[in-house]
Amino acid sequence: MRAARGRRLRGRAFHAAVAVPTVLALALLAALMLELLSDTVSWQVVEPRGSGETFSFLDGFSITSSWEKVVTLELAARGSDQAEIDALIRDPEERRKFAARNRVELMLWADGKPLRWVVTGSRDVLVQDRGLLEGWRQRGELSAGLKPGQHLYLNPWLDISFFTKSASRTPLMAGLAPALLGSLWIIGLVMLIAVPLGVGAAIYLEEYAGDNAFTRLLEVNLRNLAGVPSIVYGILGLTVFVRLLGLGPVILAAALTLSLLVVPVVVIASREGIRGVPNSLRQAAYGLGATRSQVVFRVVLPAALSSVVTGVILAVARALGETAPLLVIGAAVFVPGLPNGPLAQYTALPIQIYTWVGENEREFAHVASAGIVVLLAVLSLLYGAAFWLRRKYEKRW
Amino acid sequence: MSKALPEDHSTVRTDPVSVDEAVVAIDSFSLWYGGFKALKSVSLTVPRGQVTALIGASGCGKSTLLRSINRMNDLVDGVRTEGRVLYEGHELYSVGVDPVEVRRRVGMVFQKPNPFPKSIFDNVAFGPRLTGRTSDLGAVVERALKDAALWDEVHGNLKGSAFGLSGGQQQRLCIARALATEPAVLLMDEPTSALDPIATDRIERLIADLKGKYTVIIVTHNMQQAGRVSDRTAFMHLGTLVEEGPTDQIFTAPKHELTERYVSGRFG
Repeated sequence: MRAARGRRLRGRAFHAAVAVPTVLALALLAALMLELLSDTVSWQVVEPRGSGETFSFLDGFSITSSWEKVVTLELAARGSDQAEIDALIRDPEERRKFAARNRVELMLWADGKPLRWVVTGSRDVLVQDRGLLEGWRQRGELSAGLKPGQHLYLNPWLDISFFTKSASRTPLMAGLAPALLGSLWIIGLVMLIAVPLGVGAAIYLEEYAGDNAFTRLLEVNLRNLAGVPSIVYGILGLTVFVRLLGLGPVILAAALTLSLLVVPVVVIASREGIRGVPNSLRQAAYGLGATRSQVVFRVVLPAALSSVVTGVILAVARALGETAPLLVIGAAVFVPGLPNGPLAQYTALPIQIYTWVGENEREFAHVASAGIVVLLAVLSLLYGAAFWLRRKYEKRW
Repeated sequence: MSKALPEDHSTVRTDPVSVDEAVVAIDSFSLWYGGFKALKSVSLTVPRGQVTALIGASGCGKSTLLRSINRMNDLVDGVRTEGRVLYEGHELYSVGVDPVEVRRRVGMVFQKPNPFPKSIFDNVAFGPRLTGRTSDLGAVVERALKDAALWDEVHGNLKGSAFGLSGGQQQRLCIARALATEPAVLLMDEPTSALDPIATDRIERLIADLKGKYTVIIVTHNMQQAGRVSDRTAFMHLGTLVEEGPTDQIFTAPKHELTERYVSGRFG
């Protein structure tokens, strides 16, 4: 009796010992998600100023007009008096704020002649910015301290416009569009390159190549390659694709580098799937007069499809999240337009987030958080799809 | 266990089928798996439109002999053969014969039902589609399923998964799948060993129906089954063919001592 009780207690202790780390990990994950999500929303006290027109100055400006001159005219047009304007231009902190809220751009005609200066920007002047929890705690003070014309509102940084806005030095104007499009281009190309390569290699190794020294060497190498740090692939990509092939820092080079990185993942997952197809199915197909390639493409691959697709999704997820190799092969930190083809310069989601995290302005923290939430959401969707596919097409033999 | 027969043994034959009448004629056929000689100079003629049973203890080579008739043994590494197998007078093991072509004419049903993870229709249509056939697949599938006595049970559910069928139905589906390529000879490797008695009975009645239209060669462990379904029986022992003849005679008046001991259940 006593011995049995001791065993039961030990069993319970062991159970607790394995359950605690799991619960802890889940709790930490939940905390991370909460922190990120709360960071994507901030309480802001703002002072609305007009309707955000675009001011254009066609006369009296040349391409060499100074920033001060443009801003002075702009502010005058918005109704500030000269004293205020001088104060703003003198005070570096005020200048910084103005520059953060507004964009002063020179638009050119196609032949290079200046068309006009345009000052665009947020209509509102930001007075205060507080995090979600902090702002909630201080909401009494904040609303009590509102001056006439100012108001307090909750700014969700992660809204629809976040996906359509381009890169900007202004937090409120910064969006994910170029990074999202860059990542989509890269992933699309990675799939085009890595899937045929990886699945083909898996088919060759499992169905055609015999068990010999060469295939065993390949096997060991594949497992090793899957574990090589990604920065090493970055250096390889820099040497081979960017320099040797002379592609430069373009989407195609990134896709080729990331394909090298994920091919082992695809091969290993596909091989597991192909190996899981029972031999009796191959025998049945051979018995009906199928050639080897018919057996592979009509029986083995369809039966292994769920594993293959799962492997591809995991590979895509890995390619989506990789940062280090892209930094090495020269993803741009700031891309003026949207990437428009495999030979365009690009930035990618993790690179964009990395850039935002490194920005000076405090509000970029919100932008970075919003970017991280988007990246995590996309990754979760991919992993969810892999899980669902595996469940749905799980074969009973 | 008695001693192995010498290599130059002679098979005891009763009313043997002449080579001219035979669909399949095996002539002094030997087979090695690497260094192991699994078949030792086996000669056997199989009559057209009848059921021939191969019986013998485990490891006697009956499945190997069966798989030699549609060259399934080619798929095993390190197989070497000697002697001849004739199908309708054509030598199957001569240079230039494509095993794929052989397997299209000599169908095979395996020990365990092994339907593809596809629909019932796609399972049966698999063989015809291999040769690029796309027209009147529906008629081909219907005929094969009717021949395999499965049509009445599945005709409303051809798009359903083959895995939704019972074990016995799956095996009949595998038979239908083999019949859809319109083979002249159907090889069955212990087709009922994974089935319950009722499903077994269903398959045995099916084999009786197939007789005449197809030539069936069946490997079985179950001697009652051999007695029930076959016209001729061949008894193998340690890679040699010991005795062959009409089933009645093999079971009631075997001529060789080993056969007599095996069919009376004293070994095996």
